[in-house]
Order: sequence, then C-alpha cells, then structure tokens
Amino acid sequence: MGTMEVDRGDGRTPNQMRPLACSRNILNRAHGSSRWSQGNTIVLAAVYGPKAGTRKGENPEVASIEVIWKPKTGQIGKQEKEYEIILKRTLRSICLLTIHPNTTTSIILQVVGDDGALLPCAINASCAALVDAGIPLKHLAVAICCGLTETGSLILDPTKIEEQKLQAFACLVFPNSPISVIPKVSSSAEEPFEHGIITSVTHGAMPVHDYFNCLERGRAACSKISEFLRRSLQSDSSNDTSKAR
Amino acid sequence: MASSSSIASKGSLDIAGEMEVEAFRRLFPHRYYEHYLAQSVRPDARPLNHARETTIALGPVTSVDGSALVKIGESTMLAAIKLEVMTPAADLPDKGCLAVDFYMPPVCSPTVRPGRPAEIAPVISKKLQDVIVSSGMINFEELSLISGKAAWMAYLDIYCLNADGSLFDAALLSAVAAFSHLKVPLVSVNDNGRVTTVPGELLESKSELELVNKERRKLSFKSIPFSLTCLLHNKYILADPTAEEEDIMDTLVTVVVDSIGQLVSLYKAGGMVLANTSTVKDCVALAKRRAAELQNILLESLSEMEVD
Amino acid sequence: MATAPTTYSPSQALERRQQQQRRRIFKEEDWVRSDGRGFNQCRPAFLRTGAANAASGSAYAEFGTTKVIVSVFGPRESKKAMMYSDIGRLNCNVSFTTFSTPIRGQGLDNKEFSSMLHKALEGAIILESFPKTTVDVFALVLESGGSDLPVIISCASLALADAGIMMYDLVSSVSVSCFGKSLIIDPTAEEEAFQDGSFMVTYMPSRKEVTQLTLTGEWSTAKINEAMELCLDACLKLADVMRSCLKEAANAG
Repeated sequence: MGTMEVDRGDGRTPNQMRPLACSRNILNRAHGSSRWSQGNTIVLAAVYGPKAGTRKGENPEVASIEVIWKPKTGQIGKQEKEYEIILKRTLRSICLLTIHPNTTTSIILQVVGDDGALLPCAINASCAALVDAGIPLKHLAVAICCGLTETGSLILDPTKIEEQKLQAFACLVFPNSPISVIPKVSSSAEEPFEHGIITSVTHGAMPVHDYFNCLERGRAACSKISEFLRRSLQSDSSNDTSKAR
Repeated sequence: MASSSSIASKGSLDIAGEMEVEAFRRLFPHRYYEHYLAQSVRPDARPLNHARETTIALGPVTSVDGSALVKIGESTMLAAIKLEVMTPAADLPDKGCLAVDFYMPPVCSPTVRPGRPAEIAPVISKKLQDVIVSSGMINFEELSLISGKAAWMAYLDIYCLNADGSLFDAALLSAVAAFSHLKVPLVSVNDNGRVTTVPGELLESKSELELVNKERRKLSFKSIPFSLTCLLHNKYILADPTAEEEDIMDTLVTVVVDSIGQLVSLYKAGGMVLANTSTVKDCVALAKRRAAELQNILLESLSEMEVD
Repeated sequence: MATAPTTYSPSQALERRQQQQRRRIFKEEDWVRSDGRGFNQCRPAFLRTGAANAASGSAYAEFGTTKVIVSVFGPRESKKAMMYSDIGRLNCNVSFTTFSTPIRGQGLDNKEFSSMLHKALEGAIILESFPKTTVDVFALVLESGGSDLPVIISCASLALADAGIMMYDLVSSVSVSCFGKSLIIDPTAEEEAFQDGSFMVTYMPSRKEVTQLTLTGEWSTAKINEAMELCLDACLKLADVMRSCLKEAANAG
C-alpha cells in the first residue's frame, strides 16, 4: 500500500516534507515571536505574557492561555474559532500552568500564506514562539499533517491542491522527547514517551487501519521535525542576548 | 483528615456524613473520583465503558419537515430540519445543499448568558457539518429537484436544551434521527417558475403540472455516523462523561465511526494525558460497540413511529 | 457551496392562499374553530417540571402546538457592574428557535416579550428574600402555535416554583381574542392573525390580584367585563392544573 509511486505535483516522494524554515524574535514588541514556514504555508506567531489576571470563569489557580487566530483574508468565522480551541487545548497541555497562577498568556497567530497543512504549521510556530518568550514548558510539541489519497496511499505534508483531492487527512501532534541530564532507565514494557498523541484532528472518512498507518508515518516524520526544531532553537539562543520586554 | 476517614466508612454514613461527602466531592474532586475508578465504576454506579441511557423521540415539532429530540443521560438536544428551495450552484447543478447550525441558548447551562454565547457552540457546529458531509450519509443528488434550476437546501438547526456532557454525541445523534424522520414534501412548479407545495387532496386534479418528486420521500442513507466521547485519565478510559467529569478531567477523545466500519473522525484536542496506540485502539473499539447500540435504538424508534 | 444562497420556502404561496380563505370564514356569523373547540374552551395543557437538570428549576409546557421550555438559574451573583441593592433582581430573556415559526426566522431574542415577562413576574416574586443576588429566567419557545406570551408566563412561574424561589402565589395567564361580536379564548396562531383585538391577563388566583393586563384594539366596557370574567375563570382552572403538576413532581421525587 505504501510502496506505490504517487505522482505529487512538486515531485516529492510520499514521505518527503516540504522545506522547513523557522526564524524567531522577529517582532521586537512582542514578548516572543516566531515565523514558521513549510513550503508556501507561512504562519507568524506572537506571544504576549504572562499578563496579570484571568478572564471570568477561568480557574485562577492556574495560568490561562488565550489564542487569537487571524486568517489571511476574510472575516473570522467558525473555522477560525475551531482552530483557536484546538490550539488552546494543545498548548495548555504542554505548558507548566502552575508556575504563574492567575495570569493570562496570549498567543496571536497570523496566517501569511496558506498552501495546505495550515494547522500543523501554526502549532509548530506557536511552540517556537512560546520558547522565544520564555514561557515554561513541559516539553515541545511537533505537528504534522498526513493524508490518505483516493488510491489508498499515504502522503505527508500535502499542499492545498493535494488536500482537496485527498480522501481524508489527519493533523497529528506529538511531544518532542525531553533530553534530560539524568539518563532515564528505559522501561521496555511501555511505549516511549514520543509515541503518545497530544492532538489528533481528522477530516474525512478513512478505514481504521489506515488511521493507524497515519500514526506510524506521522511519528517517524515528527522525529525529524523534532531534530530540526531543536537545532534551530539551539543556534538562535546562542545569538540573542537581550530582548525587548 | 476527617473527610477522608468518613469516605473510608462510606457504607455506614448518616445525614451528617452525607454533607461531608458532598463537600469532599467539591473540594477534592480528583481524589473523590480515584476512589471509584479504582473499582472500575463511577459515582453513579455506571461501569467505565458504559454510556448513559439514550432515548430518541421522533417528530416533536410539527411545523418542520423533520425533527428529533434526543436525550443521552440528561443532555438533551432538539434537532429540526427545514427544507427550502434554492438555485443550485453552476458547477454542481444536480446537488442540494446542507447548512448546519448548533445553538446553545441560555436555557441549557448556567455558564451561558444572553450576551455571552458559549465558546464551544461554533466549534461543535463546524464539526457537525464536517462529519455529516464527509461521512457521505446524505446523497446530495437526492436533494435535487430540477437540474440546474431548483434544489433543496436543508437547514438543520440543533438546539441544546440541557448541557450535561457529551454534547457532540447527542447533537450528532439528534441530527441523524432528524434526517431519518425527514419527509420531503410534494412540490410542483407553477407558472412563474416557482416551486410550490401541493397539498395531498389536489393530487388527482393536477394535470399539466407534473409533480417534481413523486411521493413524500424519505432520504436514503449510505452509512450513518455515530460518535462516542471518551475521557482519558491516567490509565482509565471513561465512556460518555457527564459535565462534572468533563470539568475535572480535561482529556477528551471523540471517535466517530459509521455503520460500514470506517473511521469518520478522531478528535483529540490537547489534554494532560497523551494517548498511545493501545488507548486509541480501545477507544475505537468502544465507539464501534456504541455505534451498534445506537443503530438499534434508532431502528426501534423508527419502527415505533411507523406503527402509529 | 455558496455562502448564503437566497432560498424560499415552497409552502409560502400555498399558505397565503389558505389565509385568504380563512379570512372569509372569520367574517361569517357562526363559525367553528379549526380544532373543534368551543369559543370558551382552552387548549389542553401538558406541564412538566424538572426538564433541565443543569438549572436550579425548569419547566416545560405544551398547549396544543405551542411548546415552551423555561429554565431558572439562581439566586446567583449579580454582575460586577451592578450597584448594591438590598432587594433581589430579576432578569428575564425570551428567545425563539429558528424553526418556531412556519417561515424560518433568525432566532433572535424577543426584547418585547422579555420585558413583558419581567413585568408579569416581578409582582409575584418576594424580591426581599434574596438581596444582592439575581434570579435569571430564560425562556425558549420551541414552536409557536399562538398565544405564546401567556404560555411563557405560566411556564415561567412553574419553573420558579420548581427552583424554590419564594413567591406570593403562582401566576397563571390567559389571553382572549375578539372577532367582531364574539370572544374566543386561547387563540391559535391563525386566529391571532385575524383578530380585531386582544386581551391578556396575568393573575394570582389565591390572592385575587392581577399582576399584568394588556389590551390591544377597540373594546367597549361591557366587552372588557365579559373578557375579564372569562379570563379570570380560565386562570383559576389553569392555576389548579399547575398546582397538581407541582404536587405530582413533589410526590415522585
């Protein structure tokens, strides 16, 4: 099933992702910012926080996260609200919320270009922006979009034209494994940490076993994205000494 | 601590002890639930993988073409479908259209106020639209009247009357039930080219205007989607959570499977607990079991309606 | 898919024709109501409390095809913007579903009904019993089959009783339409559309006090007296039905 050659418009193999680029600290008034691009899908993320006070109805014993999604064109509708809720819940699970209780951290996403796989790009961008702002995180999150074509083969990171022809696609977010000073005693009975799914949003109907294949492919690709993220964060952090706060 | 010792001897509590239990439930919800989860039940003696009692009532609203009232436990949803005529899009002349709207009026929950709509309402609305369209339940060509000129636009409005957890499940079930109950009205074209309804008695007298659709039709379904929401907490999977459980434990997984066994949607948005493959497999298996249950309940209520 | 294609309901033309036929009927001298009731007969009422468990109290009422659900929340904290007050506050809101009317509507809040509901209830509730807090009454009309506001008011007072808010008495309400010389009670939607005048009374039976009276159209004094007697009689009977419903709920729970 996976060995069929799929003819992708830009000549990529089914398992190949588009070129990734990440730059941080591009907005000097925001506490943290980043710009993440996967091919022509570009998302700009800005983080402001922690700011004092929570909204009414939120639990004041933990920090709260607020997400605002700005589309490239058009008004804010249900699709944007859905993205906001997904992002908010995903980012809540990676932040250490008890360190700054009764505060609000706002994350604003601006879509600069939309060429497929928009949600994973936004999640990666916001994760990099949170690191840039210095918000305490448990671990990083990497996101990938995996699609099932009509012929039954899986492709990674589809473009918009490919997305419209897909039978179904899934956006998956996996944790980036923490490299700790103390080596962990590996317990072979449980699955490794990186295999847990933080978020999974599917679109379109697909057979159950195809979904599990998507998970496998997604995990493998995410480990590559994790390495890229780690490299780009490490190289940048040695350069910037002062930040406007 | 005094409260925990009263929990230990829970069996022999009197009224004074009951108050302490309620206070403990509010102040330390996680520990209160852990006691029950360790024995694989929930505080209301429901096993972890059982859903709440589900009832479907078809046709409560008479002024619309199809309606259904669904109760899962205490969560109540009312779905109604109104059919109106529209001109189809130029590139899809044979297809009708569907617009789904989910409302949470202030009646349903103390957190919703008239000026402040619920955050989750547009999200559920969009998810419902996606699931119904991508599951292929409705064949849009059945909604076409005259190719290129007129087609049905189905307005599906779902109102939440009481919010007690698993809102998406109840909403999807009510939408499916309303579609099963839907009767497409008889129409014919009048001289101005507008489509009008034809009341039953005039059937014989109509000569030159042929009826566009022959009988009060029901739609046919390729595959019906059913959903199940599960809550993940440490190693436990709780099926069909109530609102109280959803507040305390925040990792929700919604699995939608359809009657031909496909996975229509798997929605997990963040949450403290990471799901690994075995957990996902368990959730999907639970969802399939629930889909079979719901299919039976839906068929029963449909057949009850036929009898009347 | 088009964003918002203009649609029309196919039954519009048919309904207009039917309405024109009806108009002629109402002008005749002796006519029978479409559901076979007498002029002085109200629709059978189905009332139930405890419909929504998320609310402090709730009630569901069905009078013929008019279906209303009312939830009461409170007494709960007032909004921070409100000033201190040593009596309680009442906040009412009435909204219609999009499918409640035969032509699909917008489902907006009905501000006029909300303020009339407020005026009808505030005379009956003992506001001094919950100072500094607010009681919220939310009504949702599921299907509008005529005589909506009286049904909403009766259902709301049942929900308040279910929530345990202290009141002077149960409030019941009935409306009467006038067609030329005849008066009919509890009109349906099509009868309301052709009425010459309407008369609505909200009444507390045990205290024999009227909390709200609304009159539209031209009425002579004799007619008003006759309508008043009709209404008060019907309100008494309706209050008895409401009381028995509450007793049943109390015995069952």
